[in-house]
Amino acid sequence: MKKFLIKRENPEIPSASTGDIAFLLIIFFMLTTVLRTEIGLKVNLPSAEATERLIKRRNVAHIWVDKTGKITVDDNVLDPTGVTNVMILKIADNPELVAEIMADSDVEYGRINDILEALKEAQAFKVVFATEYKKIGG
Amino acid sequence: MFKRKSEQKISIPTASTGDIAFLLIIFFMVTSIFSREKGLKIVLPPKGAEVKVKKENILIVTVNPYGEVLIGDRKITIPEIKSIVQEALNKNPELVVALKVSRKAPYKIMIDAFDQLKLAKAEKISLTPVKEE
Repeated sequence: MKKFLIKRENPEIPSASTGDIAFLLIIFFMLTTVLRTEIGLKVNLPSAEATERLIKRRNVAHIWVDKTGKITVDDNVLDPTGVTNVMILKIADNPELVAEIMADSDVEYGRINDILEALKEAQAFKVVFATEYKKIGG
Repeated sequence: MFKRKSEQKISIPTASTGDIAFLLIIFFMVTSIFSREKGLKIVLPPKGAEVKVKKENILIVTVNPYGEVLIGDRKITIPEIKSIVQEALNKNPELVVALKVSRKAPYKIMIDAFDQLKLAKAEKISLTPVKEE
């Protein structure tokens, strides 16, 4: 009954290529991560129920405002006229730019008003007020 | 003469490259920050371009320096804004909501009021600039 004797080989998964697969994944993650070069200011964002997520995150310029009213863009401390000058350059570079105002919830509105006027001056009309999610009814 | 020792076949072990690479993956996954780009959108009007709106098509929501919200002369609480604006929008779909916030008012109150307008599905929101007091 030689017919029923099956030759058994040692089953083995080839491991030589796992490294290649993993490196492909690394390259993918390295390309998709956006490195944050900006440090910004310490802010406590307000929360809102209607918070929306921005999709094109590469077209975002952050304007940080802390609770004392200090304004920074790209970690440079600016006044509202400075914001206009910086935003004019940024808009010229990328017309699709969205200005995201990362302002502390305790800052006086006057400061925000000045920034909005500065953005109008710089023709940066797409603006987002950065907020945190708030649960409905909470 | 020296006789060469029996040569061994040289090979670099490849079994562990996968482990090294996965360690690197984990490192990149942990250090990459997921973007927190979220907020309330608004499109600003160009400077100086004032659009004439009929008086009956405007609803002015005022926030005074103490953080109180008023519609007309009536003082209301923030959660009431939504229902009032919705009601007004049902009566008049052309309605433009003007949010007039005092310079001294906290930003938080302005965002809360703006949030309410967004929740009320008000399409035309105008942020009235306020002059220096």
